[in-house]
Amino acid sequence: MPQVIIDGKSYEFEGRPSLLQFCLDHGIELPHFCYHPSMSVPANCRQCLVDIGAPMRDRQTGEIQVDEQGEPVIQYFPKLQTSCSHIVSDGQVVHTARSSEKVKDAQRDTLEFLLINHPLDCPICDQAGHCPLQIQAYKYGPEGSRFEFRKVHKPKKVKLGPRVVLDAERCINCTRCVRFTDEISKSGQLTIIERGVKNYPMTPPGVSFDEPYSMNVIDLCPVGALTSVDFRFQARIWEMASTPSITTTNAKGSNCHLWVRDNLVLRITPRANPDVNEFWLPDEDRLAYRRFNEDRPAGPSIAGGTRAAFSSWDASLQRAAEILQSAGENAVFIASAYATVEDNWMLMQLADAVGGQVAGYIPHIDPGHGDGWLCTDDRTPNRQGCERLGIYPIDETLWRARIESGEVTALYVLEDDPVASGLCSVESLAGTEVILHYHHTTNQTLPAARVALPAAMAAETIGTFVNESGRAQRVIPAKAIKGTNRTLMMQMGLSRADRHGTPFDRWHNESHYIDCKPSWEMIPMITRALGTEINPQGPRKIMQHISETNPAFAGATHDAMGLTGIDLCLKESFQPAHLEGTH
Amino acid sequence: MADFIRNPVVALPDPNPESHFSEEELIFTEDEKARIAGWVSQYPTSDGAVMWTLWLAQEKFGFLPPEVLQLVAVELSLPYAQVYGVATFYTQYFKEKKGTFVLDVCTCFSCQFCGGYDILAYLEEKLEVKRGHTSACGRYTLQEAECLGACGSAPMMQVNNGPYAHNLTPEKIDELLEAMEAGKPLPFVSVTLPQDEDEMGGNRRTDAEAVEGYITPPRSERTQ
Repeated sequence: MPQVIIDGKSYEFEGRPSLLQFCLDHGIELPHFCYHPSMSVPANCRQCLVDIGAPMRDRQTGEIQVDEQGEPVIQYFPKLQTSCSHIVSDGQVVHTARSSEKVKDAQRDTLEFLLINHPLDCPICDQAGHCPLQIQAYKYGPEGSRFEFRKVHKPKKVKLGPRVVLDAERCINCTRCVRFTDEISKSGQLTIIERGVKNYPMTPPGVSFDEPYSMNVIDLCPVGALTSVDFRFQARIWEMASTPSITTTNAKGSNCHLWVRDNLVLRITPRANPDVNEFWLPDEDRLAYRRFNEDRPAGPSIAGGTRAAFSSWDASLQRAAEILQSAGENAVFIASAYATVEDNWMLMQLADAVGGQVAGYIPHIDPGHGDGWLCTDDRTPNRQGCERLGIYPIDETLWRARIESGEVTALYVLEDDPVASGLCSVESLAGTEVILHYHHTTNQTLPAARVALPAAMAAETIGTFVNESGRAQRVIPAKAIKGTNRTLMMQMGLSRADRHGTPFDRWHNESHYIDCKPSWEMIPMITRALGTEINPQGPRKIMQHISETNPAFAGATHDAMGLTGIDLCLKESFQPAHLEGTH
Repeated sequence: MADFIRNPVVALPDPNPESHFSEEELIFTEDEKARIAGWVSQYPTSDGAVMWTLWLAQEKFGFLPPEVLQLVAVELSLPYAQVYGVATFYTQYFKEKKGTFVLDVCTCFSCQFCGGYDILAYLEEKLEVKRGHTSACGRYTLQEAECLGACGSAPMMQVNNGPYAHNLTPEKIDELLEAMEAGKPLPFVSVTLPQDEDEMGGNRRTDAEAVEGYITPPRSERTQ
């Protein structure tokens, strides 16, 4: 196998890897700005310079020449090479800044050049704290600058589009954003304009940078030149906790990080997963952070007559149990493609315990919304999870008629909104006792609900979602909820401020705790009031149980899913033939 | 450039500029389209032909406002942003309306030492126009240029992105301007090369003779 010697250590390689990617893959840090693994290599930041040589060969015989000690004579390139654009070949000898003063000096000088006109506004810059330029200037840069004259002033706070702001002074012209619009999103809306010391990325006159993936350039930007309109100046990086999660705005289940401070989700950034979303996230997924903070309910309530009154959890769940008990087999359960697999499974067990019927889930399909990439027509995260459990789209005409005829005496709705989706109206539900698990106070079924139970959203719960291509991925809590749930607390990141914070800590803030519970916690409390115990309990054990008993979920335990998820068996192997191609 | 060093501020281009040409004017004729197609066919991708096409558009429209750049982008099936980036990179592409005569006076090192700024100041005074601006009559645009590669005959200037005027003196400028006003185009003047020093009696400051065409013929092919 061909070998390359990097800093005196030899590595084997296959194929034709680029030197920079090969080093990064083997844990050898090389500073770089413009290189990105999924885009073309312009080699314009000149930061990843290395010294490359190869054993000298005799021109006639092709033999490797050796010196007096019998060591091969290494002939180096006359100048340093950019490792990003260099393809590794057999026998090459590479020196990085760790073993070559020449490389160290070159990288320090490159940084000195890059910093000539870079403003020293790190204290107010959104990128500070996770800024490659800042980190690399500390690690590889000069102690000071010899360029002590007035810096070039370029346009600041330019609104490139509805979601992205440009600060041209901070730009180091790595062209990552331009290459993203040219090669990845293919909108071609950005370019570098002017030249020399005056250049910066810009849209042409009359064009707004409004493509549906525009916010990816914010993460790509190695400096603070491109920032988010929403997140600009909202929080410092070190004040937030980031939790690996998945997005729930559509059926793609793109991997993301949820950034939380004071129990508010402040932004959503992509998390690399080559099998789902690579490095990208559509803007609609990023802007969904508001849904975790806004219009959240204040607590459980029991409607007395027309006016909803806030109640205790015990009383509300007791009331729900009474309603279900009196309805018996006339109780109808609506599952949800917004809820996790665990919650839907719990609902099925509740229906069994009561003797009622699961009518199905309400599909939320928006034809034409999908783009064949990271946006889908389906606006729910877990439709396939429902179908793998054996819950199918609700027969709207049938159930509308049954609800209107008053046949359904109790309707149990899991994390959905049958009124807003057009299944029934508030008036037609007058004769029905509605128990509603809901996320937002904007839920239109709320006026008809006898018992309204705030449910934890994806950022607050533990659970599994199955995306449109059958990949099971789990979420872990990113923010705390009111009340004590040991299962949720155990899954919180260990260094979270809100995990170990006490009310005596100065930064502790309880004002944004939502009084909600995960559905997998509420449903067993209801069955307990009915005198039945559902086993197993807790999302981890539920998923273990489902993976063992349901072949459509074979192997899908929480441990197996990890942070990137696993592909389940094909859809055809579990879907009944009569439902093929229904949606 | 000197002004930029003193006051290094880069302005933001107008995001919504007014249109200079009507829809009827903004077309390439069949003949022009054929020429563009010819250039495109010379390159593996159509972006190779973008500079030729911009040049053609500038000759046709006089300058390259955003709507013309968009026309070029459509003609070459390129992103508008890319064409805009190319056009703003080169100072020879005029992004705004210029005078009939665009005078690029070199003020880079060699010309500066030989009096480039004096020439620039003389032109400013004579044409009553500030550097970087177009005269009130709309005939002259005076610009400061970086090295145009004719240091051997400094100070010099370039007229309308074309012929060079070498070894400038105030008298010579007067003559040049008179000739331009009279409608006589500036002749192309070949600059002597070092190999010709002997012929010129070792004096490289002497004006070279005018030759037809844009290429200095090799010595062996000289007629005289």
